[in-house]
Amino acid sequence: MISTPHDVKEYRGHLKKALKNTFLGTTLDNFATSYRASRAKAFEGMDLEGLIQEIAQGKDASIPYLEELFTLFKARAEAAGAKIHVARTATEANEIIASIAKDNGVRKIVKGKSMTAEETFLNTHLEKEGYQVTETDLGEWIIQLRGEGPSHMVMPAIHLSRQQVAELFTKITGAPQDPDDINGMVKVARRELRQAFLEADMGITGANFAIAETGTIGLVTNEGNGRLVTTLPRVHVALVGFDKLIPDLQSALRVLKALPRNATGQAISTYVTWITGANDCAPGPDGRKEMHIVFLDNGRLALARDPVFSQALRCVRCGACANVCPIYKLVGGHNYGHVYIGAIGLILTYFYHGRENARAIVKNCLNCQACKSVCAAGIDLPHLIKEVYRTVLEVEGKKPVKNILLNRALKDRRLFHFLLRRAYLAQKPLAGGGDLIRHLPFFLSREHGFRSLPVVAKTPLRDQWERINPRLPNPRYRVALFGGCVVDFVYPEQALALVKLAREFNVQLEYPMEQTCCGLPAKMMGESETAREVAIQNLKAVDPTEYDYILTLCASCGSHLKENYPRLLAGDPGLQVKVDQLRDKIMDFSSFMQNVLKVSSEKFDGHYRKIAYHSPCHLCRGLNVTQEPRELLKTAGLDYLPAKDEDVCCGFGGSFSVEFPEISAELLKRKLDNVEATGAEVLVTDCPGCVLQLRGGMDKRGAKKIQVKHIAEVVADSLKK
Amino acid sequence: MEKHEQITLFKEKAEAVQTSVIEIGELQQAFLYAIEVTKKQGGSTIAAPGLAQKDSDALSAFRALCEENGVTLVTENLRSQIGKLHTGFTVADHAVAETATLVQDSSSEDVRIATMLSEIHVAVLPASRIKADAMSLENELKEAMKAPPSYVAFISGASRTADIERVLTIGVHGPQELHVLILDENVD
Ligand code: SF4
Ligand code: SF4
Repeated sequence: MISTPHDVKEYRGHLKKALKNTFLGTTLDNFATSYRASRAKAFEGMDLEGLIQEIAQGKDASIPYLEELFTLFKARAEAAGAKIHVARTATEANEIIASIAKDNGVRKIVKGKSMTAEETFLNTHLEKEGYQVTETDLGEWIIQLRGEGPSHMVMPAIHLSRQQVAELFTKITGAPQDPDDINGMVKVARRELRQAFLEADMGITGANFAIAETGTIGLVTNEGNGRLVTTLPRVHVALVGFDKLIPDLQSALRVLKALPRNATGQAISTYVTWITGANDCAPGPDGRKEMHIVFLDNGRLALARDPVFSQALRCVRCGACANVCPIYKLVGGHNYGHVYIGAIGLILTYFYHGRENARAIVKNCLNCQACKSVCAAGIDLPHLIKEVYRTVLEVEGKKPVKNILLNRALKDRRLFHFLLRRAYLAQKPLAGGGDLIRHLPFFLSREHGFRSLPVVAKTPLRDQWERINPRLPNPRYRVALFGGCVVDFVYPEQALALVKLAREFNVQLEYPMEQTCCGLPAKMMGESETAREVAIQNLKAVDPTEYDYILTLCASCGSHLKENYPRLLAGDPGLQVKVDQLRDKIMDFSSFMQNVLKVSSEKFDGHYRKIAYHSPCHLCRGLNVTQEPRELLKTAGLDYLPAKDEDVCCGFGGSFSVEFPEISAELLKRKLDNVEATGAEVLVTDCPGCVLQLRGGMDKRGAKKIQVKHIAEVVADSLKK
Repeated sequence: MEKHEQITLFKEKAEAVQTSVIEIGELQQAFLYAIEVTKKQGGSTIAAPGLAQKDSDALSAFRALCEENGVTLVTENLRSQIGKLHTGFTVADHAVAETATLVQDSSSEDVRIATMLSEIHVAVLPASRIKADAMSLENELKEAMKAPPSYVAFISGASRTADIERVLTIGVHGPQELHVLILDENVD
């Protein structure tokens, strides 16, 4: 039986335990690596973005009409001899299916893999009613025998080792099984399950598609168990979520083009089966199958009407959002979802399994955007995760103290900056004159000691600006710097590097003084009202029309401004135009150097030798910038050494690293291990948040320490003298 | 020319899913092939449902060949023979080159049993039936779906799983091998 912690404290206990499971950690890491390669290969030569767009648009067009599609489906399927049922809730679905079993004198049931049946806990219900239920997908069968839930939507038993399976099969068969003979173990399943197929009176499946125009269901499987489940028993029941309704075959084929490729990197799954109506079946009444299709609502129809969350219904259950999630990779599906797993699981849990189960897990997201970048249906998963978090906070009406403080501070820029300046004085005794805090202040516990913390700068950037920023007589461009809190108050030296380059390339920089925090931390903590207020403040402070470009050294600020401001300020006619202008002018440092200034390599002499690069989530996925920083390193004459998993999150995630320090620490460790393996002397990145995390982690490592710098710093240092 | 490209693509993609493909010039060769592989693998029964409807002369020829070679040919009531069927023999209705997929109308229970519960599946694929992608078969598929009840199967390779430590293993529930014999009657 699945149980998911209801509070973060208990949840962290589970996470710590999972982090110690080295088999899990290695398996999922290898899987993530091979998945990336096979996915890329499967989509080779295809317009993947275009396909995802088409799927998303197709789904969006049908989501408002699910009930109409259902009516059409019902008419067609009934004409073809199927019986159609509607279940409003999970319990209702289970009861309908149990009564179909009863009416048909069923004793034994075989099942194909169905996430929808997992959602309703159908097996538990049917077993309680006295039916013998056998899962026939190998992975599902294994976890059924172990009394577990799936740990992945496509590979339910991925958390188990061959030894564990051998042990289980030894118990089942009474004969010892060799863990290294996987083929032999698969044959055990073939034998054992063949018997179950032959004896069953009823087969239960889910469906990947319910095609309205013909009343057809589509099933996608690799093992072929779905075909046997729908062929041998005299009764077939398909349990189908309303969200699987799709207007026509063409839409289904379009999804099918992406589904297996995105799920497992296969061009197509071995068996795709299209069933329309009650087919030929010798033991059935009049030689026909007794065919039932149960449509499950369980909140879907309400979800379909929600302006924000309806896009969750686009999901085609490919599982990719788990495959690439750095947290899933560390702790596995049993700790990253309830029944549904991965990014989509964090969202659907709230809607299908309730607030209690969603409360803790929904916080466990870095906002790294990896899931979004591979979603077959183009769902903005990290955004929806934050929206669920916000909704839970709102519904529960119990705001954490840190949210209340954050709201108060952020809404008042003067107060906020006053607090940041004060922080300098407060930390002085801890820093002991250095620029890192190695021992934690009393309010942070030992788990947070995996990285040193930076000290707040003595003089924030804004207080030095007029002094350090020269006035140029005939600048090529006038550019506003959007500093962001970390550059302004922790790492002003990164801006100094920029100033040096700007002077060299004749760019007039400006620092609009009324600018404040971009507001991303508020969004991360589910405080969209505060996020909205600071967005307005910033738009007032930085008028895009006054500048040629708006530059940021912080990828997180940049992508938040670009992507979330339009969302936060949607429907605000006065601000809309400014938001759009801002969006057009926002640029990251490397793109500005490479694409706008087109700086020449003759200006540089490569001050450092071996450089490794960390690609910040909000740069490579948030702003889609991947080539420019690497090219810029080359332009500056630096020797760039590629590392494994460069674009995997460093584990910072803002307040995430405080809420889930163990996860943050493990991601950081893996990141730094990969960097060290390159033999680099300097690690470069283009987000001050990542610098904070990486530098703090590097400082805690005993061995030879690699310097961590912002890309602007190494490029400025590489200017010819 | 175009047909040839489709065949080449089909073969290439078939390799990736462990489907063996050979080209033949007449149906007779397919019968001999099926008989030979059945015997070689120690099997004794071939199930060829659906052939009677498609081509009754061919069926008689097949039956004669089977008798000659001591192999049993069964064509109906296959449910009572489950466990004895070594080779399922069918003629595919269509195919998709891009994914090496056979499209098999399986509305008859016997066709389903032959293609799901035999140890191996040997399918004849008329070369003219190969299309570039699934979308190009939309009309044909829709036609089948609009004349219900119907059960249309896409088959791309032999049954497989990766559920134990992600190790690819062939032959979990369905046939353990898929042989496709591309029949191009204009080739000698
Ligand atoms: S944003 Fe990153 S951490 Fe959050 S669910 Fe997606 S992949 Fe996982
Ligand atoms: S949310 Fe997207 S990536 Fe995740 S399972 Fe659904 S379709 Fe696949």
